[in-house]
Amino acid sequence: MIQFEQVSKVYSGGQKALMDVNFHLRQGEMAFLTGHSGAGKSTLLKLITVIERATAGKVSINGHNIANVGPKHVPYLRRNIGMIFQNHHLLMDKTVFDNIALPLVIEGFTHGEIRKRVAGALDMVGLYGKERHLPIMLSGGEQQRVGIARAIVNKPPLLLADEPTGNLDPKLSMDILRLFEAFNDSGTSVLIATHDLGLIARMKYRTFTLREGRMLGGERSAAEENMR
Amino acid sequence: MSKKPSITQSKLPLSGRIVMFFIRHVQQGMSSMGELWRNPVSSIMTMAVLGVSLSLPAALQVLVKNAENITQSWNSAAEISLFINKGRSEQSIQSLLSRIKAFREVESVTYISREQALEEFQRLSGFGEALSYLDENPLPAVVTVTPSLKYSSPTGARELLVKLERESEVDFGRLDIEWLERLQALLKLLEKTVLAIAALLVLAVVLVIGNTIRLAIMNRRTEIEVMKLVGATEAFIQRPFLYTGIWYGVIGGILAWLIINVLVWYLDGALAELLGLYGSELTIQALTFSELIKLVLLASFLGWLGSYLSVRQHLRSIEPS
Repeated sequence: MIQFEQVSKVYSGGQKALMDVNFHLRQGEMAFLTGHSGAGKSTLLKLITVIERATAGKVSINGHNIANVGPKHVPYLRRNIGMIFQNHHLLMDKTVFDNIALPLVIEGFTHGEIRKRVAGALDMVGLYGKERHLPIMLSGGEQQRVGIARAIVNKPPLLLADEPTGNLDPKLSMDILRLFEAFNDSGTSVLIATHDLGLIARMKYRTFTLREGRMLGGERSAAEENMR
Repeated sequence: MSKKPSITQSKLPLSGRIVMFFIRHVQQGMSSMGELWRNPVSSIMTMAVLGVSLSLPAALQVLVKNAENITQSWNSAAEISLFINKGRSEQSIQSLLSRIKAFREVESVTYISREQALEEFQRLSGFGEALSYLDENPLPAVVTVTPSLKYSSPTGARELLVKLERESEVDFGRLDIEWLERLQALLKLLEKTVLAIAALLVLAVVLVIGNTIRLAIMNRRTEIEVMKLVGATEAFIQRPFLYTGIWYGVIGGILAWLIINVLVWYLDGALAELLGLYGSELTIQALTFSELIKLVLLASFLGWLGSYLSVRQHLRSIEPS
């Protein structure tokens, strides 16, 4: 699904965010991306969503080199990637329904189809019946779930999450992870960036670890990483 | 190996996308109208500025139009006076008259004989007594020629005058159109001034709309970032702003039209009085319906242009980070 080959990213200030990173997230796989803050997790996600472009190396999605995706086609690429952010990036003056419907409106779905899909997405994240609420009326965990609903509402083949549990207590965090597992079970590839090692230690998924811009050891499980 | 689906293709069929394209246009157009209602104070201020800015060039257009109307009625009043050589017989004058009448440049001819001229002079000048001391009538016979419409312009009338002066019976001719030429030069100056002022005001309209749209973009910065993150194209993001610009233009244009009508209604009485003094019965003409349509179309184009320039410049700079 996602393949990084010898990818480096140097910001214009000279700051080296990623150095010679190699990794491969397989089709339908769920994996974690860990490392201390500043290790390059966010940069790696930005390279996938073409918010930033790699300085060197090759980033491919589904076998397509995204260096070949021109600025005009970036929006279409992003429609196939569901993105979830730590600060959830919701529009505070729009209702929950409008927030979740945004990707569908952009893609040009009919109104009836939008209602159906938004209802389905809300149901999946356990917020059914809160369409008319404004995000400000919801708790932190609920807001995060609205962000997740928006990311999955157009059924993207790939889901990226940047610290999705950063502001949540352990119980809510586990709920969110279960949600990702459910999407993964239905065939979506999932990559979750988090520094919450305690959370992922108990899970069976592959873990990619970044340290100062380099990928450590390749494919090590979180449990192993924890024992060191 | 099966072909991998393109990562940039849409999930919707082409026909559905085309239909939805138009539906989105209508929706975004309407919602940007609604957006204006949501901030009524700033919207009304902007529209008022546009209305006033547009009303000035429109008022000048009304001025030029009416001035042209008036001078056109004066244009045809150009007359050529031909003074006949003394000592020409009545017969030769009559033959001259019939020859001139045959010119296709000539609309009509009036003959004033020496006797008639003397009579008129005595009656109007107040020197009648003095004239009676003279042995002979000092006044020449005069032929007044009105050029046909095609030759009533200053240059046309001048051409005709040269032609008429070639006749042997004619001593000299006089064309009293200098004032007309000056008036026309003045009108030309007025028209150019109007154009220059109009161009400046049009520029002001574009700048005002551009700045208003810039503020709207800045206000919705986070929304634009999120839209870009979830895959909105530039066209999709900029469309509501372009519609907002067009709405500003449309409403500003209608406001300008209202202002002009009030202005004309206010000036009509005074102007009718002034024109009455000049013996003219022209009434001032406001903007016609087709001119209203043109004004609104122009204004909406300016609105679109202002917001397009603003959107081009500012939308690109907003990128998710």
